[in-house]
Amino acid sequence: MPDAAAARPPGAGALERRDALLGMALIAPTILVLGAVIVYPLLSAIYLSFFSIYTPTLEGHFVGLANYRDLLGSGGFWSALVTTAIWTVGTLTLQILVGVGMALLLHQNILFRSLARGLVLFPYFLSTVVAVLVWRWLFNDLYGILNQMLMNAGIIAAPVNWLGAMPNAMLSIMVVGAWKFFPFVVIAVLARLQTIPESLYEAARIDGAGPVSRFFDVTLPQLRDVLTIVILLRTVWDFKEFDLIYLMTGGGPVNGTRTLPLIVYNQAFGLNQMGMAAAYAVSMMLVMLVFMLAYLRRANARSEADSAA
Amino acid sequence: MTTRRPNLLASLIAWPLVLIIAFPLAWMLLTSIKPAAELFTRTPQWLPRSITFEHYTRVLTETPFLQYFGNSMILAISTTVLVILVSVLGAYSLVRFRYRGRETLAALVLFTYLLPSVVLISPLYLMLVKVGLANTLASLVAAYMSFALPYALWLLRSFMAGIPEDLESAAMVDGASRMGAFVDVVLPQALPGIISTALFTFILAWNEYLYALVLVNSDEARPLTTGVMNMLISAFNIEWSLLMAASVMMSIPLVILFAFFQRYLTSSFGAGGVKG
Repeated sequence: MPDAAAARPPGAGALERRDALLGMALIAPTILVLGAVIVYPLLSAIYLSFFSIYTPTLEGHFVGLANYRDLLGSGGFWSALVTTAIWTVGTLTLQILVGVGMALLLHQNILFRSLARGLVLFPYFLSTVVAVLVWRWLFNDLYGILNQMLMNAGIIAAPVNWLGAMPNAMLSIMVVGAWKFFPFVVIAVLARLQTIPESLYEAARIDGAGPVSRFFDVTLPQLRDVLTIVILLRTVWDFKEFDLIYLMTGGGPVNGTRTLPLIVYNQAFGLNQMGMAAAYAVSMMLVMLVFMLAYLRRANARSEADSAA
Repeated sequence: MTTRRPNLLASLIAWPLVLIIAFPLAWMLLTSIKPAAELFTRTPQWLPRSITFEHYTRVLTETPFLQYFGNSMILAISTTVLVILVSVLGAYSLVRFRYRGRETLAALVLFTYLLPSVVLISPLYLMLVKVGLANTLASLVAAYMSFALPYALWLLRSFMAGIPEDLESAAMVDGASRMGAFVDVVLPQALPGIISTALFTFILAWNEYLYALVLVNSDEARPLTTGVMNMLISAFNIEWSLLMAASVMMSIPLVILFAFFQRYLTSSFGAGGVKG
């Protein structure tokens, strides 16, 4: 990116230094806040993970790697990791399928299109608390509308326990997660669809391609980049999702839907083992790091391509 | 696809799906205005036979809902104002100035944007207890900065990168100082981006749950998310009509923002959320 200073004559070095100082002054509040609420807590999370700390008194002693040894040796971490992976893959698959499908439909010139868009996008902006309350009422085993509808239609004979039994509970939270987060996919894909040149479709049509092969040969390759980024971002976000699962099932039945973020919370504020919680949090972050780095690489490649263009 | 005629086939496929997606929200609204007697019937009553607002008045008069609502408002507005002040300057610096560590800083911002809240929650809790802020709205504002600031910086950075530099240079040739050019040229250009960022920050803060759960345990500082959830958990028999009425009311600010600023909200996806 060309800097205004670069256009000045060589003698303007003092001015450039003054500009650099101004730049640092402008970024100073950001660094201060990020340092206080992110960098310091992040480093202390790593530090805390080597201690055994009792949350209510905050008293503790150094235990070295014992937390990590216990964590890796217990089945709890590994089963939660598997549960987290199942939840992430399940809900993300639903989000992508529904999201891309809905984006393709909303890209067409349908009746009352802007109203349809508004209705489809709104769940994303809704509070998770509200989404959870509404869905728990829909799923209610005695008076919930879902069981009543299915029973009236003769699909089920007795009310289904949607949240208190497995695998129902996992499937239910996947559906709620998909409902809440698929609009993100819709917005991203819709924005990309609008930039695909019509000439590509014209050319395909002249070559005799039908609607289905036009989708696979023209649309899908054009969506590849945006879908990669959406999948990476949503993987990270779904993996760390706490509110929705905690409020829908609390991790139950038994530990059926207990993902890693729920364990971290439970260790710190349920079992009062803050050091152990930190060890879980750090381990979880290491697992996530793969996807975070993949996204960072993607994002950097994108911004370099943008500034080159 | 080339004609501007409404696509009837696509409409016939799309609208049933749209209605299914919107159904939970419609059901929330219907439940909240139904008399309690109509709620627990064997055969589902789609439309209420009579409309009542008793659940709304009960939420407003018999629960601390208004207190929570006020807390959430103060919390979301303070977080938004602070985050915008810091991030507008920060993003401008990241986009337009050269100094050591700038690239590292930009990468760090993106990294923190993906960081899970549960990692930071225990240390933040310890820190806020130590500085004596625990159980106050200020502690929540501080905690909300941890996710809202990286998000705002990232969004604003890509908005500001799109502003042509020539405009600033021209203003400076005309005798404006660097900061003068920033205020007169960059800020007006960046306004749509600033509006989207502010809206998103407000919504994030309004909807936040985990930090509110951990950092606050008194009604004086409790926002709507944990407050309304408490009504569900603490009730002996759950009154769904009350909860639905509370849900509708806590969503009203979002509906208003969404109705008026949908364009701003969706435009920022292209800029920050997805494009990176």
